[in-house]
Amino acid sequence: MSDTIAMINLVLRIATPAVMLISVVLCFLSLSFGRRDEHALIALDDEDNNIRYPVLFWENTLGRSRNSDIRVPDATVSRDHAVLLRREEGWFITDTDSKSGVFVNGEKTQGRHPVFVGDRIKVGMTTLTLRRADDPTEANQRLKVSPPKQRNTVSCSLILTIITILIGILSAEGLLCSGSFSALPHAVIFCVLMWLFYTISVRLFQRRSFELEALALMLSGTGIMLNAFHDQKQAYMQLIALVLGIMVYCFMLWFMEIPDRVMKWRIIIAILAIGALLLTLAIGKSLNGAKNWIIIGPISVQPSEFAKIALIFVGASTLDYLQTRKNLFGFILFIGVCIGIFFLMSDFGTALIFFVTFLVISFMRSGDFKTVILAIAAALLGVFLILTFKPYIAERFQAWTHVWEFADSAGYQQVRTFIYSASGGLFGVGLTRGYLQYVFASESDLVFGLASEEMGLITALLMSITIGGFMIYARAVTTRSRSAFYSIAACTSGGLLVCQAALNIFGVTDILPLTGVTLPFVSYGGTSMIACWGLLSFIKAADERTYSQKKAKIPANALPRDPVKQ
Amino acid sequence: MRKINSRSFMILLMTLAFFAGLTYHTVNLVLHASQWVAEPTNSHLTDVDGLEFAGKIFDRNGVVLAQSIDKQRVYNDDEEIRRACLHIVGDNSVNIATAVQTVYRSELTKYNFTFGLGLPDILKKGNNMTLTIDTRLQRAALRALGDYKGAMLFYNYKTGEILCMVSTPTYDPQDVPEDIETNELYDGAYLNRALSASYPPGSTFKLVTAAAALKEVPGIENSTYDCHGADYVGDKQVTCYEANGIVDIKEALAQSCNIFFAKLAVALGKDKMTSYAEQMGFNSRWSFDGITTSSSRYDVTQADENELGWSGVGQYTVLETPVNMAIISAAIANGGTPVMPYFISTIDGKQKNKTTLGNRMMEKDIADKLYEMMDYTVYSNYGKSYVSEKLDVCAKTGTAEVSSDGLAHAWVTGFCKDEDCPIAFAAVVEYGNYAYSVAIPMVRQVLDTAADIYKKY
Repeated sequence: MSDTIAMINLVLRIATPAVMLISVVLCFLSLSFGRRDEHALIALDDEDNNIRYPVLFWENTLGRSRNSDIRVPDATVSRDHAVLLRREEGWFITDTDSKSGVFVNGEKTQGRHPVFVGDRIKVGMTTLTLRRADDPTEANQRLKVSPPKQRNTVSCSLILTIITILIGILSAEGLLCSGSFSALPHAVIFCVLMWLFYTISVRLFQRRSFELEALALMLSGTGIMLNAFHDQKQAYMQLIALVLGIMVYCFMLWFMEIPDRVMKWRIIIAILAIGALLLTLAIGKSLNGAKNWIIIGPISVQPSEFAKIALIFVGASTLDYLQTRKNLFGFILFIGVCIGIFFLMSDFGTALIFFVTFLVISFMRSGDFKTVILAIAAALLGVFLILTFKPYIAERFQAWTHVWEFADSAGYQQVRTFIYSASGGLFGVGLTRGYLQYVFASESDLVFGLASEEMGLITALLMSITIGGFMIYARAVTTRSRSAFYSIAACTSGGLLVCQAALNIFGVTDILPLTGVTLPFVSYGGTSMIACWGLLSFIKAADERTYSQKKAKIPANALPRDPVKQ
Repeated sequence: MRKINSRSFMILLMTLAFFAGLTYHTVNLVLHASQWVAEPTNSHLTDVDGLEFAGKIFDRNGVVLAQSIDKQRVYNDDEEIRRACLHIVGDNSVNIATAVQTVYRSELTKYNFTFGLGLPDILKKGNNMTLTIDTRLQRAALRALGDYKGAMLFYNYKTGEILCMVSTPTYDPQDVPEDIETNELYDGAYLNRALSASYPPGSTFKLVTAAAALKEVPGIENSTYDCHGADYVGDKQVTCYEANGIVDIKEALAQSCNIFFAKLAVALGKDKMTSYAEQMGFNSRWSFDGITTSSSRYDVTQADENELGWSGVGQYTVLETPVNMAIISAAIANGGTPVMPYFISTIDGKQKNKTTLGNRMMEKDIADKLYEMMDYTVYSNYGKSYVSEKLDVCAKTGTAEVSSDGLAHAWVTGFCKDEDCPIAFAAVVEYGNYAYSVAIPMVRQVLDTAADIYKKY
């Protein structure tokens, strides 16, 4: 009898990564199928020269520069002349400090100026007429515009069913391993929550896709199941954090729907973030070496996690803003203050994440390698100075790359991670059967090792690859998002998640120094869970389809003002 | 937007770096898994059930030394054999660092990375291991050592097989004494003294000094010295056990004249002494069968002239492991190049070792001269039949003083000339005091047993 149970248990453990692989593959397939082809939204006709410029993106730079989205080869046009952008209300053109200005129907524009189909936009010596992309004009015949293809996406309810099966398998396996039903309520609550979220998302918000949420739910659910057999109470906290995270996610998607609204709130968000960090510094408590906790009664919060979200709000911006205000001064000031505060908290992990995020944003905005190299040089100098004046900080990292020599001191956690990952093999020893659970911070900092030991290397790797997948997806939707704000925010947020995952996983596997950050979605940690869902919303917002249901209503000024003209 | 898209390529690179890191970790894990899983701190294997399904361990004749029956580890029926083989086989714990049940635990439990340690019990089946040791010699050696603390190592200098390796104090792995940590009778019981302990080698080290002198000092074979029992070397005296009269190098080794070899060491100088000692295994460790021995030590950088002299007779700060001593004797028996010892014959029916030569320790003509000198030492000084009536043994003893009140460790090392019994050996008896009357008879018991088994009459 016990042999039969043991065999069933083994089959379940082999099934775990298989089912997880299916759901991950389906989600990413669906995400890439469901994307629209890049076809022109509208077109600009240079009728004098009989040239048609297709307008491909929601925000486009217009100028003489080689890299302009709409490149007008006219010497009288500035390199970055204007930005043509689309909003809910229709199309607008913004003069981005051009020499000769932008004229719409002969009238010089200032700031953002609405343009309608048939309007004549004069830049330099060139006059462009706004046309619909599908205009059957002569010029249009030469431009090959493929009609949008509607491909079938994988049904999201199928994906959710597979994830439900995954959670079922995990709870059955844990039950067979431990003989206890302790994690059953968590599994049930999680699945109910997941389907409820899906229903609300589809019915109430009328969102078409749910793949991104499904992947994050899969990670969160696996993390909760990993924790539920070890510590029921922690797992309940994790579930509550998940609910809060989903609420933050929905709120942020609503908030970001109008990029211009976000642009207005940026300063307030920055001030709030720095205020929260300063408050932490003043009244914060020190847990496990870093003074980054605010404890109010039974609730302890890490404001630094939320600062990550603020960082992206402050760093990302719309294209017209980017083209007019090219200096990064305000942003650098913000990031400098934040990193300074993290050093005072001795939260080096978050400081490093912020620094990498800063590099990503500043490169995305300016494309300037010099800035990046300069920043890295400055950071290295800073690190050198800190290590010179405060050598005790270096001691925290003394075991790096030779952990076996410090197997019972600074390298304790890494060595145990190695030993127990090796014990777990590809399919793990089974939930609750591991020994890494008895090592400090196993459910947060060492969660990759804990998953390796109890669920096997394949499952642990699949979870990591999924986080990397967020990043690849964020990049894939860059040109299809409705604003440069979304593109920059999505890439940065993806980069931040990957950077954090790298610090976590490579920290315990001794590829990088151990800094004690969480693995996104999987690690135990309420604030971290909420913040990760917040970060995910940036990626979601970058996908054009997210808000597509609402744009079905054709905005009033998108209609031709003078239909006769055609 | 196009510009932003091309810039986002940097982020793609970050992700690729992340995936590269994951790949690196995976490769690293797969390559080292069997080594890491066998770490003594792995609770999966070192908790009570670590050997539940481990394979059997046999001696060279198929005698079962350890096996798992109904999830229990059961050792040989005979307590004496259990105690004699403890340091090679090991116990349920991983306290004996060089034992096969410690070092080869993952092989015994047939670990593979695919399923890790997560296989159900019915699919668990350990690998069997065969060792090169002979339980009959083990028993003889354990009896010979008696209540002394010490170690003996006998190995075939032609094939490298370790036939006998015993370390005392020892205990019964089937019934580990409760007071093992506190009772001083068990002091250092977890240590295999043959591999992991080093002692002052005393006069046995004269083999190293002699090897250096035969090569480096011109006319050494024709020089003589008139020993009066004490003489100045440097600003202090070096003494002998008695006045040896006029001796040449052969007679000096046979009678173990300290002054002769102390003067040789000084004549050779620090650099040459160190270089020859290092050629013969000092200041480095031996590795075989996945274990690393302790290091033998010869360091005269801080020595004055007198101390350099004493170092030439194996005193001063010189330390040597029994295994190194046996390898030196094997090299002499083998024309200057030792065959490396090993004790694991097969794992899972597959041959684990083959005969391998170590680095040359001395040139062939030097080895042959030492061979002849050790032969003469037994002939003239100990008596051939006193060392063994059944085998033709060449040997050198050493009595290494370890305290000012005359307490000494007794050494003997050597080899058998017999073609059908090519055994090199080393034995050390802690506080045995008399190499001749304590260490030699112990070795004799084991050699005579070996002769009964292997010698073809």
